[in-house]
Amino acid sequence: MAILEEPIKGVPMVKNYIGGEWVESQGEIIDVVNPATCETIGRVGISTKEEIDSAVKAAQEAFYDWRRTPAVTRCRYLFRLGQLLEENFEELSRVQTQEHGKCIDESRGETRRGIENVEVACGIPTLMMGDSSEDVASGIDEYLIRQPLGTFGIIGPFNFPLMIPLWSAPYAVATGNTIVIKPSSEVPFTQTKICELVEEAGFPPGVWNMVHGGRTVVKGMLDHPDIEGITFVGSTPVMRDVIYPACGNTGKRCIAQGGAANILVIMPDCNVDATIPSLLTSFFGNTGQRCLAGQNLVIVGDDDTFYNEFMQRVTDRAASIVVGYGLNESVQMGPVRDAQKKEKILNYIEIGMKEGATLRLDGRKPAKIAGDYPDTCFLGPTILENAHREMRIVREEIFGPTMGVMRAKNLEEAIEICNESPYHNGHAIFTSNGKYARQFQYDVISGNVGVNIGIVAPMAFYPFSGMAGSFLGILHTQGKEAIRFFTESKVCIQRWF
Amino acid sequence: MKICTASETISFVREFEEKAAKFYEELSRRYPEGEDVFLSFAQENRKYFSQIQRAYYSVITDAIEGCFAFDLETDDYALDTDLAGDTSYPNAVAKALALEEKIIEFYDVAADQSMSLMADVPRNFKIVARKRKERIPKLTSLV
Repeated sequence: MAILEEPIKGVPMVKNYIGGEWVESQGEIIDVVNPATCETIGRVGISTKEEIDSAVKAAQEAFYDWRRTPAVTRCRYLFRLGQLLEENFEELSRVQTQEHGKCIDESRGETRRGIENVEVACGIPTLMMGDSSEDVASGIDEYLIRQPLGTFGIIGPFNFPLMIPLWSAPYAVATGNTIVIKPSSEVPFTQTKICELVEEAGFPPGVWNMVHGGRTVVKGMLDHPDIEGITFVGSTPVMRDVIYPACGNTGKRCIAQGGAANILVIMPDCNVDATIPSLLTSFFGNTGQRCLAGQNLVIVGDDDTFYNEFMQRVTDRAASIVVGYGLNESVQMGPVRDAQKKEKILNYIEIGMKEGATLRLDGRKPAKIAGDYPDTCFLGPTILENAHREMRIVREEIFGPTMGVMRAKNLEEAIEICNESPYHNGHAIFTSNGKYARQFQYDVISGNVGVNIGIVAPMAFYPFSGMAGSFLGILHTQGKEAIRFFTESKVCIQRWF
Repeated sequence: MKICTASETISFVREFEEKAAKFYEELSRRYPEGEDVFLSFAQENRKYFSQIQRAYYSVITDAIEGCFAFDLETDDYALDTDLAGDTSYPNAVAKALALEEKIIEFYDVAADQSMSLMADVPRNFKIVARKRKERIPKLTSLV
């Protein structure tokens, strides 16, 4: 099958988008590398404190008029943006694959998820409605209105360069706030393309800003007195040790989403034919680099025949996964984002083996890479059996294409294993029994729960929940919770003499 | 060639629908007695592809099994659209019937494989297969 055309040509310099202007950063310049081909596809500036200050200032200046723009008018900008995202769907998807490495089906899926958030935010005239009560006392009425707060910072991760910033951005601007987005500097092109569409949609200058960079920009956002709140998606250590405390110290609102080590529970009564593709998608899709990926499998029951047959089928299918450049339509698993991340995953596989897990499928060196590409960032799927709940490969986030396999006597024990995990983002069960499914959903500690769903990704009109080590904050991104997060409730009590 | 991903399946559909459309356009030029039917089939082929592509782009998300939903062998669905210069009208229609049967089989198999994994995509495969089955009596009645 043909390789789809790459949308990023040459080696362009990625610019910041501040106050409606495209501005080249004066900071250090780093290369953006396609992890499949190892070619440099662009350059991006690591913005300075002055540049983040300038973006926040532009956002602050735009806020006064933007919050006075009627909600119906604000949502018309979003309708236009949604239309432009549809028109540029394929290009946006290919940009993601080129800079991140994920397969084209996965990138298109990400684009669709991003657009869904813009669509939901278009309902802002209704979503932002308050409440009212007549005659709370005789002749006195009381009502609640929701007001925007000002400027928000949105810090995105490398693994979903399009979708994750759009878990926040459309809701923030729809509610009348202004924003500064900091995409991951590893994957700066996707949000740059989004900003081009924002510009084309005609958003007033300063409403939607973007500053590329690293720690300086994050620190600049966290310390900035004019940023009212932060949404962050990234690793748990950064969430826990940097983002959340800093927001607390500076009085900012905060949604902080961290890592995961999700567990998928297999009941012997599951529909095996349908379950296996779900497992492959969950464990090896996006090359395991997502916070809703399965990391560990728990097979319930002492039926060795079921276990052996099931694992043989999983192993056979995993071993046949086509690894390569995601713009090749035949490819089912792309590279990991960079060599350091690959090294970390390899290290975890070694740790697992030292701790007693046994290698059923060795993906440390992929058997074959489709196309003539260096193996710098490529791995194959790895399956480690005889994992145990106390092992590091079970308890720590690997963020790669690995599957640790455990066994549990019964569903209660499987749920116990899930609940012992430090992370509670997206555990799931596969079963044909409604009673098991309900028991799992009821008892498991997990912000998102799957029943016969391997990637428990909530639709845009539901919050992207998460619990314990996977999340800090109260409200979540997406849907009504995002509306609450980006608005302040003001209660008015009135009486006329 | 084996195809497993949704993306390459959709591309394969585009290829064979376009190939079949060109075949019907050629038939319409060569055999005026069936021109209206052949031209309408060519138009429908392109419409069917658009319908399936639209379904795919509407439902594809990061959470569904786009990379693992299919296990198809393209050689099983190779379309024979070559027409010799002296092909008779009944033989050309017979070739069209064989082509339709092959395409219907593809859609049915692809739908069964991806059922419950690819949301609206298999439903649209089934719709197109059903509509194409309606072509069989139309083609048969031409000769």
